[in-house]
This record gives sequence, structure tokens and C-alpha cells, in this order.
Amino acid sequence: MQTLASREDARPIAIPQAEPQPDAAFLRLRGLTKRYESGFIAVDNLDLDLPKGKLLGLLGPSGCGKTTTLRMIAGLASVTDGEILIGGDDVARRAPHKRDIGLVFQSYALFPHMTVAENIAFGLDMRGVSRQEARARVEEALEMVRLPGYGSRKPKEMSGGQQQRVALARALVIRPRILLLDEPLSNLDAKLRDDMRIEIREIQKRLSITTVFVTHDQVEALTMCDVVGVMAGGRLAQLGTPSEIYEKPASLFVAEFVGRANVIDCEIVGRDQARIGDQVYRSDTKGLSGGKAKAAIRPHRISLTPDRDRALVSNATNSARGRIARITYIGDIVQYEVEINGAMLKVEVPTASAGHGFGADDMLLCEWKPQDMLVFGS
Amino acid sequence: MSAITHMPTSIAPPATAPRRRFPLIIVLLLVPMAVVNLAAFVLPVLRLGQISFLESRSGGVLTDVYTFGNYLDFFTDSFNFGLVINSLWISFTVTVATLICAYPIALFLHRVSPVWRNTLFVITVSPLLVSSVVRTYGWMVLLGDQGLINGSLLSMGLISEPVRLINNTLGVFIGLVEILIPYMALALIAGFGKLDQSLEEAAASLGANAFTRFRRIVFPLTLPGVALGCLLCFVLAISSFITPKLLGGGRVFLLATEIFDQAIIQLEWPRAAATSVIVLIIFGFALAVYSRVVRRFD
Ligand SMILES: Nc1ncnc2c1ncn2[C@@H]1O[C@H](COP(=O)(O)OP(=O)(O)O)[C@@H](O)[C@H]1O
Ligand SMILES: [Mg+2]
Repeated sequence: MQTLASREDARPIAIPQAEPQPDAAFLRLRGLTKRYESGFIAVDNLDLDLPKGKLLGLLGPSGCGKTTTLRMIAGLASVTDGEILIGGDDVARRAPHKRDIGLVFQSYALFPHMTVAENIAFGLDMRGVSRQEARARVEEALEMVRLPGYGSRKPKEMSGGQQQRVALARALVIRPRILLLDEPLSNLDAKLRDDMRIEIREIQKRLSITTVFVTHDQVEALTMCDVVGVMAGGRLAQLGTPSEIYEKPASLFVAEFVGRANVIDCEIVGRDQARIGDQVYRSDTKGLSGGKAKAAIRPHRISLTPDRDRALVSNATNSARGRIARITYIGDIVQYEVEINGAMLKVEVPTASAGHGFGADDMLLCEWKPQDMLVFGS
Repeated sequence: MSAITHMPTSIAPPATAPRRRFPLIIVLLLVPMAVVNLAAFVLPVLRLGQISFLESRSGGVLTDVYTFGNYLDFFTDSFNFGLVINSLWISFTVTVATLICAYPIALFLHRVSPVWRNTLFVITVSPLLVSSVVRTYGWMVLLGDQGLINGSLLSMGLISEPVRLINNTLGVFIGLVEILIPYMALALIAGFGKLDQSLEEAAASLGANAFTRFRRIVFPLTLPGVALGCLLCFVLAISSFITPKLLGGGRVFLLATEIFDQAIIQLEWPRAAATSVIVLIIFGFALAVYSRVVRRFD
């Protein structure tokens, strides 16, 4: 993995086209739709392209259709409409056992009546791999997930984290075309989750296997994935790199769901001009030039300075006078709730730099950059 | 407070005695059932064992002379040997047939959506609401020479004379299978706990087709239920006597019907008791096989 990275670094910047067609999607979803027998549309006309070897995170609140999407790709849920193209073949109507897909379930789904080695060898057995080769590949897979020598254990004799890794080894040992992971970390405790996040990502990069990772945890999605698809109500709200999703959310929903945001009612009074109360601020109105709207400002993108009796709206920065209504200490950060023009603004400051000695009811100045004030029409 | 903390040092024995394994309340709660079991099951079985070693005079009067005669008679009479083989064979085939009939039902009930499960479950076990005697008479109506099946086949001209479906082993077999299906289904469902849909899905994603999934995942995981159901049905089949008597029409001889005849018609209680003990020994073997299967699975 490191060698791969350094090789890329060493490559002359002049020829980025050396990459094998970066836009050649390996997994393509075309108008993918799932309507359950009850009539409920769980996935609604999903279009998505994922290049080979990339890790896609499907992020969304519970019930937004992530699992259903994954199950359709795996063939475990029937497709109501649309296409699933893997390496060019439409597999939407192919039986799951003919799709060559590695799947890791939230519950791990290890076969309880088989040993760890038998679990991992199952897929090889189905492919008619010789016993000798299977044994070697099982050993190799166990080493990959750092569980050498655990082959003769039964799943129930292992911890949750170990079972998780066995499930990963079992899915990967068959060298599937695509790896699908459904909230693989949600049953682990916080510390283990951090370790597994890194481990899964490293394995994924090392094998450079095209992967879809379902999660409702924005940290997982932002830290692990090459591409993040934010889902809401069965639709794709936004598809982009983690920084695009975070810095340039396409909708208020994405801004609120990925990271925290102050959402304030405002009115667009001109191009990149939004009014809160009687004060107009420079902002990013995304081409809108009028109408009621909502502004989103991330709490840590606002800085606090002692009141200078004068609120400025310059090209470089917005500022608003406010009164501290509440102070909450949250360990690494201190959260101030500041009232400006009748709106309540949450501001987060690293504890280390929060040494201004602000107290409740103090007047001060909140400042933020125009590009950090995202205005969405309502 | 201080008095309590000082107690263990002042009263040595209770403090050092090992903690009682069961709290008193648990022992007390178990007493009523233990008494009932002792009076209504253990003592009668012991008495049965005792009677099986007693000599009887003609007319069924019990003496207090002990003898092995009842067992010797049983093992020297080749008729009894046929009886054991016949009973074992019918019970075995009935158990297998019941399993084959009930397994798909149980699997379906295990998988069906919870909305339907309870209703379908009640329907499955509803035959238990009707006494097996009544159901046996029902089968006599259906299977008899002038019964529904033969009547229909005759009137359609498919057969020229009635097919023997009753008063033979086939009749007993059909009746027992139908009567035992609810028991088998209940036992199977109870034993299907380890079967999880996601295991089958995992197997499918690894490349297993439907048949392989059944063979490698579903069936092994349902084995505890299968073992329990088979034990239950085998024991019920070998000890049933009303259905074999009515549907066998006196032509099918089994251990259970023989015990009934010996005890009620011939009034030979010691012989009946000896035969019963032999059936109990067969139960013991069935239980041993069951516990071996279950232990191997865990
Ligand atoms: N078998 C089903 N029948 C009807 N509705 C279902 C079924 N499975 C899931 N749903 C519904 O589809 C929606 C999406 O479910 P799911 O894909 O599991 O969401 P997620 O994984 O994002 O939490 C939910 O509202 C859920 O209630
Ligand atoms: Mg889900």
C-alpha cells in the first residue's frame, strides 16, 4: 500500500492520464428502484458510478434505503426497476450465487456450525478450488485479517471484532469483483471501531477492490471513503468526495446531516446577499437572488472576538454582534450559544484557544467568511 | 449495621460453609411438581417393574412369587420378536414420513412474515384440538372400502374393486403420520432457533445455489429440531395403540396393542408389565441416540 502511494507520488505531474481512464466506472447503477410489496418505495431511481478500486460510502439516516440498495446489488432483494452494471454486465436479474460479490453483514452471519477455517473455505468450496489451494488461501486470508492460527475455532468462541474480521476474510477470500459492507462497525465498541476502520481501509486499498460501504456514521464515511453518496428517502442527495460533501453540501439536508450546522431563517436580497433580521451578510447563495431561504453555518467556522462596538460586513468577512446565552464545556471544545439579530448561533471553539474569558451575557463579535455561509432556497 | 457485619466472625459455621447452590425459594417451587411426579410417575413405573417379575395364577390373580418367566416367555416366543420388529419398523417409517411432511411446513412457518406466522401456526397445530380417536374414525370414513377415496375411484372407473387402505399396516401408517404431524411441526419450529435468514444469504453470496444452501446450511442448523421431533414422534408412534387398533382392524400387531390385549383382555398383568418394560428400554435407546445427535451438534 505504501509502495503504491509512493509510486504515485513519484509520477511526473505532467502525465495524469497515465491512470487507466479514471472515469471508467466499474459499478454502475442506472435508475435503480425498489418498491416493496407494501407499495413503499425504498430506493427511488438511483444513478451512481463507481470507478474500479474505489471505496464508496453510502451515508444516510436509518431507513433511507442504504441496506436495500446493497441487497439489490448483492441480489438478495429483487430489483423493481433499473440496471446494475458490474464491469459492463447487467447483473440486476442474476441470482445472488452467480454474481461473484463479497458481502459482510452487520450481524457477521458466520455459520455457527462450522469452524472459522470452514467458514472461510465455504466460498472456495463452491468454486471448486482444490483442497490444498483452499487451505493455503484460508491461511493467507486469516493472516490478512491478523487472525493467524484461529482457523480451528468456532465463531462463538471469538469476540465481536474477531468475528467481524472472519466475516471480512470469508468475503474477500473468493476474490470477488465487488465488496459490499453493511454497517460493519456498528456492533463494535468505539475504540475497536476506530481500529477496524483503518484496517478495513488498508485491506481495501491493498487489494484495490471496488467497495460499497454502508453507514449512518458520517465520521466513517468522511474518513474512510473515496466517494460518499448521501442518501435521503431512497434518493441520492449528493455524490462527491468527502471534502466536497462537507465543504459544498448540495442541500440543507446534506449540510445538516454531514457535520453540524447552524440553520438560520434568512432572506436572499441579492446575489450572494442574505439578510438575517435587519442585517445583510455576504454569503454563498448558489446563484439564487431572491426569496425566503435558510442559511447554514458550521459552528467551528465562526470565530469570536471581544466586542468592538462595530459590526462590519466587508468583502472578506461577515461579523455580527451578539450576546452569549449559554456556555457548554465539551472536553476538546467549548460551545457558545450566541444570540444575534434574534437568531441563536452555536459557536465551537477549541478549548485550548478559548481563553478569552467570555462569560454568560457578555457582548461579543461573531465573524465568519462569506463562503462558510451556505444559503439554500426553501 | 455493625451487628450484622460482626455476625460472620462470631458465628463461624454459616460464614465458612459453602454457599447453597439453589436458593430455598427455588427448591420450594420445585417441590409440588416433584411430589406429583413421584406419586404419578416414578412409583407406578417402579410398581410396573415389580409386577413384571411376578407370577400370576389363571384368571389374572397376582401372587407374590418372583420369577423371570414373563421375560423368558417374551423372548422365547417368535411372535413377540415379530412384534418388536414390526413396532420398530412402523414407528421408524412413520417418523420419517412425518418428518418429510412436517419439515417444509415448519421451514415455511419459520420464514413467513410475522404478520402471518401466528395465524398459520395456530392452523398447523389446530388438529390437536380434535381427539386422535375422532380423527382416526375420520380416517376410517375416508379410507374404508366404501369410503370417500375408494368410492370416488370406483365411480370414476379407475379401479374395479376397492383398494385396501384400511385394516392393514398402510392404514395404520396413514393415520399415525397425520396424527403426529402437528407434534413434529411444533418440535421442529422449536428447534429452528439457530436458523437465520442472513446465514442463507451469506451462503448465497459466496456462491451456493439453493440446494447447496439447504444441504450445507439449513439442514445442519435445523438438526436439533429434527432430532427432537423424531424422538417425540418415534416415542408417540411406538406407544400409540388406539390408532393401530382401529385402523389395523385387528390385523396389525404391535407392542402397544399387545400390551393392551394382555392387560385388558387376557388379564395377564405380569406379561403386560414385562412387555411394557421392554418398550421402556426401547425408549431408553431412542433417548440415547437423541442425546448423542444433540451433543455432536453442539
Ligand atoms: N421487506 C420490506 N418490506 C417493506 N418495507 C421494507 C422492507 N425492508 C425495508 N423496508 C423499508 O424500506 C426502507 C429502507 O430500509 P433499509 O434499506 O433497511 O434502510 P437503511 O439500511 O438505510 O436503514 C425503510 O423505511 C424500511 O422500513
Ligand atoms: Mg440498514
